[in-house]
This record gives sequence, C-alpha cells and structure tokens, in this order.
Amino acid sequence: MEAVQSMVRIRSGNQMVAEGALRAGCKFFAGYPITPASGIYKLMIDMLPGRGGVALSAPDEISALAYCVGASLRGQKAMTATSGPGWALMIETVQYALMTETPVVIAMVQRLGPSTGGATQNAQGDVLLVEHCTSGGYTIPVFTPSTPIECYELTHIAFTWSELLRTPVVVMLDKEVGMTSEDIDYMTIHDLTTLSRQRSIQRDNGKNGAMDTYYFENPEDVPSFVPVGGQIKATVTGSAHNKAGKLQKNSPETLEVLYHLQKKIDAHANQMELVKRDLQDGARTLILSYGITARTAREAVRRIRNNNGKVSWLNVLSLFPVPANKIRASLHNIERIIIPEENFGGQYRSVLCNVFDKQEIVGVNKLGAMITPDEIIAKVV
Amino acid sequence: MNATAELDIQFKDLDVVYERPDTLTDARLHYCPGCGHGVVHRLLMEVVEELNIKDRTIGVAPVGCSVFAYNYLDIDMQEAAHGRASAAATGIKRVFPDKIVFSYQGDGDLAAIGTAETIHTANRGEKILVVFINNAIYGMTGGQMAPTTLDNMKTSTSPFGRNPDHVGHPLKITELLAMLPGTYYVTRVAVNSPRNVRIAKKALLKSFEYQMQGKGLCFVEVVSNCPSGWKMTPVESNKWLEENMLPMFPLGDIKVPSDE
Repeated sequence: MEAVQSMVRIRSGNQMVAEGALRAGCKFFAGYPITPASGIYKLMIDMLPGRGGVALSAPDEISALAYCVGASLRGQKAMTATSGPGWALMIETVQYALMTETPVVIAMVQRLGPSTGGATQNAQGDVLLVEHCTSGGYTIPVFTPSTPIECYELTHIAFTWSELLRTPVVVMLDKEVGMTSEDIDYMTIHDLTTLSRQRSIQRDNGKNGAMDTYYFENPEDVPSFVPVGGQIKATVTGSAHNKAGKLQKNSPETLEVLYHLQKKIDAHANQMELVKRDLQDGARTLILSYGITARTAREAVRRIRNNNGKVSWLNVLSLFPVPANKIRASLHNIERIIIPEENFGGQYRSVLCNVFDKQEIVGVNKLGAMITPDEIIAKVV
Repeated sequence: MNATAELDIQFKDLDVVYERPDTLTDARLHYCPGCGHGVVHRLLMEVVEELNIKDRTIGVAPVGCSVFAYNYLDIDMQEAAHGRASAAATGIKRVFPDKIVFSYQGDGDLAAIGTAETIHTANRGEKILVVFINNAIYGMTGGQMAPTTLDNMKTSTSPFGRNPDHVGHPLKITELLAMLPGTYYVTRVAVNSPRNVRIAKKALLKSFEYQMQGKGLCFVEVVSNCPSGWKMTPVESNKWLEENMLPMFPLGDIKVPSDE
C-alpha cells in the first residue's frame, strides 16, 4: 500500500484549536457564546461527548472557567474559549487557577475592544490585558498561532505546559486567525508528545506523615498533583497559603509559595521559547510578528526579497514568557526591529523595548483594518 | 409628470389611519424577516408616544440581537455590557427618579449572564420596567442553546436536543421573579398574532403607567420567535411558538398589583 503523502482539508483556526485540544487529551470543555470564539465552543460540544469527555454550556464566562477549574482539580484536562469581553469576566478565575496551581487552557480569540467593542472586527489589543491580568504580575504563558496548523500545534503545546507547570495557559488567536478557513495538510503537523501533570503518590513531609497538597523542595519545582476526591486529602484555596494549602497571612512558608508561583515559570522560560525564523545574511532590518500580522509580514518579506532587498523575519509563537534568547539570537547586525500589531499603542513593542535597547524598535500599528505588506515595507531600512 | 407626483395625487384624499410613531426612527431594521423584535420596538414606542413621555424616557439595550435598539428607538438609549442592563438602569433611575427607565433584554442577557443583576434589581424593587424578549436561543452568535431553550429543542450547541438531565430544564425566570416582594407587576405576553400584539401593548402601557405613578418593578416577558435560529420560515416559527413555547411559557399575568 502506498504511504499517505498528504491529507489536505479545509479548516479554520478555531476548528484546529478544538482538534488540537482533543489531541492533547482535553476531556472537559465549558463555553459561553461569543463571537469570534463560538466556533470552538460549538465543535467541542459536537466532538467531546463522543470521545468520553464532558462539554457543558455555561450561563456566563465566569462559570465557564470555574467549571473547567473544578474539572481540572479532579485531574481532567480542561479548556474554555472566549474573546475579550469574556476574558474580562474570567480574570477572577484565571487568578484562582494560578494561585491554586490548577492547569487549564483558555483559547482567547481577540476582537476589537474595549468593552463589547467590535464583535466581528479583528484586533490584537488584548495582549497586555491577558498577560497582566494577575494581581502581583505573575507570568501567564501565552502562545500565538498565525495559521490553522499552528493553532493545532500550539493548543497542544499549551496543554503540555499547563499540565507540566500547573498553571493557566492562554492560546491567543485573533478573529482573522480563528475564523479564516484555508486548506491545510494534516501530514505537515509536527510530531507531538502528549504529557500530563505528575500525579502524587503518598508522601511524607516530615510532619507526622501528613501530606502537603503543594509540597515542593525548591521554589522552581512544580508540586506533584493531588486530585480532589482522591485517596490523599487535598486542600485548595485561592487565598495566600502554605504548602499544605492552608490559608496563612504572611508566614515565611506562604511567601515562599508566592515566589514559587513565578519561579516555576521562570525556570522553564527557556524551554517554552518558540519562534519561527527566516533570517537573511546582511539584513539590517528584522520584522517581528505574531498572530495575523505574521501573514502580512510573510508577504512583505517576499516582496522585499523579490526586489533584491534584504530583510529578516521572526514570527513569535510563544509571546510570553518573552522568548528573549531566541529573539536575541536573531539580532546579528540588525539595527531596526519592525513590529506590526493591530493595536494602537504597540503592546508587544512596549514589552520588547524594555528587553532590547540596542536596536531601534519601530511599530506599524492600525485599528479596525488589517495591516498591509506595503505599510511594513515602508518602515524597512 | 414623474412617478412621485403621480403618487402624491393618488394619496391626496386618503386619511392616515396607521403610521410610524414619531418615537421610532425611519432606519431600516437589521432584524431577520419575521423576528419579533421589530414588533416589540414599535409597541414600546407607540406607548411612549401615547403617554407623551418621549423626553423623559431612557432605555437600556442589552448585548445580543437588540444591541442596535438605539438605531430605532428615538429616545436616549444606552447599551450596557452583556447582562448588566438592569444594573445600569438601576443607576439611571436612582439618580433620575423622575425619568421613565426601562431595560430591554434577551434571554441570554437577562436569564444567563445577567441572572444576578436581574434578580437583585427585582428584589430591590427598582421602579423601572424590564422588557424580557424570550426566544429560547442566542440569535446573535449563531443559535446556541439559551437558558430558556425548550427540552429536546435542537440548537447549534444542543445538536441532539436539550437534554434536561445534562443541562436542566428551561429557566422560568419570570415565575421566579414574581415570587419576590420587590416586583410589582409581572406578566407574560407574546407577539405572534394580532390579538397577542394588542395584549402585549396593554401590558407595556400599564407598566409605564405604574412607573409614572412611582410603583415598583414591572416585568414584561415577551415570548418571541427566532426564525433564523430555529431554522423556520416566519409563519412556521409563529406556529411552532404557539404549539411549543406557549405550553412551557403560558401567557397571562403572573403577578398583579396588590394595591389595585
């Protein structure tokens, strides 16, 4: 029999998020209708029950994410999908998931904001809202696909990191990436290894043989998971707590837990870095893109090179933690970094300005319409 | 002689017996053909005109299909965040007790994401009118299952029909609100037939009058249709409404004022 060389289908980004989640072993989904993320909700309702999972309709986004956290506290891989206004309601539970070290994946399909904004208009205006949603300024890992295949792969990867680090992880699309359908070849999807959180076995913390729900040796370590309703007694609270999961004000152990929540992510930041590089020798300009602007950037790069110009291109797939090493490794001889973003202030640019001070960082920003390749080309040295 | 002049002559001697109230703009409705929203918009504005309260009426629109209500209702309108219409109306009424304030909300907005606001607004007995359009589906986002979706009713997120074992029965929030002492007048009407339209108008008229008298919260549920979401013609949807929606959501007054 001949080996299958290609399997081309028409898929949207939203569809591939749902399929990527199933591939990662997602067994629980809760959703609330919101354009442009409703497609993920609909598909999970259609597909999950037949695969031994649970898909629930929630009365609002607050409940939707709280359902997911409940399922995850029991050990299931859980996901919800929303857009800016729904994210605003979810922030409470995102923080709760972070504090209680509960893995959960949120597919966040951006639309034009603020408030109800423009339901059917594209934007990349939620970058900082998503990243800076926690009191205390903890890092929320954010992955930004720009194609349906990347939607599939990055959703899978988001589940992996969510499980391994026991923290909420966001797959951030924008309306164009989520709702545009195109032909994709399933055979081009990379091999993906599905990983799950490490389960706890009965352990002694040296205190009368009792078990701590959040026991760790070093602050960088991720505590192994104790499911609620299991054989080991689990205590979970969103309040500041010690390793046993008991509310405490500011004991040294509680402060250690608070530092640990960030340190465990910092310790794995290098491994989380994901970029796609297309560097050119002699280029003095680097176009740095993410999400839908990657598609524009690709065309801009093609046109520049067709005109014998030189330009390098970096597509950031892991927006946060900032993939500083991989960006830095792409900056040889680069004098100018161009960052096209569909938001008015240059949100990711403002983040990178603090990291890279040797290069001139230039934004191409637009609201309510897609950035064109020519608008990027005009900024190239 | 051009066509317009010809029309002028034809209509010159005719009497106007029915026309668009001044309180409605002449914008073309964006609603799907056969949708009940247009009828309810008109009824509301007819009542506002008849009571001559156009200048003191403030409406709060929801998120959902009727998010564009301000395009059609020629009064001060504000669109609230999803589910928060009755809360926003509370704020307006508390600082402007002399104004006539109403919120206009669909089932997703009022009975799902805005349940807390709805119940507490009613419980406080805010002196406003809440118009609740119940068409048992999320129309704007593509026909998802709503809190009032009927048992076994198919929607895009209940492809095999609403399973009450899985997601519960339709939420009869109107009956629930009638139990609260804060509500003054609670009724359920429909706009699927001329007779029901007339009854609906009377209910809205009464509610505005009660508010002008400074009575408590009036709650008018309008059982409506969604031909697009239900995947029916407008005529079929009105028939389906009669046969399926009304047994679950029976028409009539649920709570009449105790002091009358």
